[in-house]
Amino acid sequence: MASTSLLLGTALAGFLAFLAGIFEDSESNAGSASNPNSQVQLAPQIGNRHRYFNKAISGEPPANALWATTAATIAYLLTAHFGGDAFAVLIASIIGAASSTLLLCAYGALSHISRIASMKNFEQALYWDSLLTPLPLDAAYGFLTALILTLLAFAAHGLLGNPFSVPLIALFFGITIGAIGSSTGDIYYGAERLYQCYIFGSGIPISVQGDIDVKGEYGYRNSVDTPYFTIRFGGLVTGLAFGMLIFLDAWSRLFTFAGVWTSVIVVSALVLVILIFIYLLEVYTRKRYGRYAED
Amino acid sequence: MIDPVTATIMIIAGGVLVGVCVHFIPASATGAMAAATGIATGPSMLSAGAGLAGIYAAAYSIDSGLAPVIISGAVGSALMLLITILCGNIVLAFGIGAPPVSGQTASGKSTFGGTKDIITGFEQEGYRSPGTDGHGMPFQTVVSGTIGALMGGAGGALVFYAVYSMTLPAISTENAVALAGIVAAGVFLINSVLPAYVLVGKTEGMFDMKIRSMHRTFISCLVTSSIVACVIYAISWLAVSGVVA
Repeated sequence: MASTSLLLGTALAGFLAFLAGIFEDSESNAGSASNPNSQVQLAPQIGNRHRYFNKAISGEPPANALWATTAATIAYLLTAHFGGDAFAVLIASIIGAASSTLLLCAYGALSHISRIASMKNFEQALYWDSLLTPLPLDAAYGFLTALILTLLAFAAHGLLGNPFSVPLIALFFGITIGAIGSSTGDIYYGAERLYQCYIFGSGIPISVQGDIDVKGEYGYRNSVDTPYFTIRFGGLVTGLAFGMLIFLDAWSRLFTFAGVWTSVIVVSALVLVILIFIYLLEVYTRKRYGRYAED
Repeated sequence: MIDPVTATIMIIAGGVLVGVCVHFIPASATGAMAAATGIATGPSMLSAGAGLAGIYAAAYSIDSGLAPVIISGAVGSALMLLITILCGNIVLAFGIGAPPVSGQTASGKSTFGGTKDIITGFEQEGYRSPGTDGHGMPFQTVVSGTIGALMGGAGGALVFYAVYSMTLPAISTENAVALAGIVAAGVFLINSVLPAYVLVGKTEGMFDMKIRSMHRTFISCLVTSSIVACVIYAISWLAVSGVVA
């Protein structure tokens, strides 16, 4: 029978990871931070002057690793120095996440300005509202991502018993959540939200890339509208992916029927189950959507 | 525990495995616009994410010996990759409204020829959106990705355990685990980025012709990992001998 701390840690880690996934995807979409930033960068080159916030500082995994590790390192140092209980960990994590958010704001503002400035030859203007309006929203999502990843790292170290130190776990989670976020939720931003003017039910042809929607439901579209749209599907699926990973990984260690091999057996079984789900989903989509009229 | 020379060879082998694994993990940055087959991000960063998830899982078994660490890392990495693929295909199916399809196979340029999925037998031609090079992860690429993730996770865990074994005589267990984790993550990042020069941002795994360029990745990762392994060996030897604290 698993101990109470393990059970609590598994449930808490799964829940925190689900939230972290949602916030991470929203942060990346608000700042056009991942692969679809190429479309926002391409838009002025084909005559689409836009008002998107475009602050891709680096690939999404290293960027999130930086925010999470900065926050976790500060939080860990504070708790190591002052000590304290779960409440102290929460306060220290908030201070750590706030510090990493300041970093995000500085990098985000400079990154946006320099990216837009590089498009001067294509008559892309630097609109201050497209920087100053989405920046606080992006920073808020960044703060929540860093805070929750820090709390998750404390939960993985303290409750689940991972032997890595808290900042190192945060680094690992940052890179993993960035890889997951840019592989799942960003498709919804890159292939649907940026191209809503194109008919639903198709990938975006290479020939039209850069022809993004610059006008929204009311006036020019900006990056504050983006997470409002993507959080309802892309964000939730990203949260589901990271939440499932952390929860199932922790859940596999609750059993003890085969000694040290127990979690390996449970995870292998889960891998087979997921493979079956992937197969069934492919069968469903092929039947549901069928062939395209021309290829 | 294992002796330092064997551990050095394990670091080299782990680094090469990590580099080779990237060739098997189908990924493409333009996949984010559903314009190319593969997981919608760069192959290197995706492999790094999967590999670090594997090292995180392997760390729980660090006291159980070499075999549980390696296999925990491999399956932990495969779990991350398959969850990502499942959720990526969910977004494609319900957010974009398109089925997963292999672009290379649909155009008859797959490694194994033909226009059908080699495992399920599903026809790929005609299911690709006009003007794109496929989208999502059809089943054959899922299997290729799983093989890659198993290799990458095992490689990362191999480096992790090797560094842990080399440094444990000199420092405390807690510090040895942390150091091994940092070094394993570093070796993983170095070797997962090297194949980017061969893959140039896109691959469909073992069904992509680029798999034939794997020997270049193998040699570059072998050279890089050998240098890294020698440096780690030298530092560990100095630490164990008491020359550096």
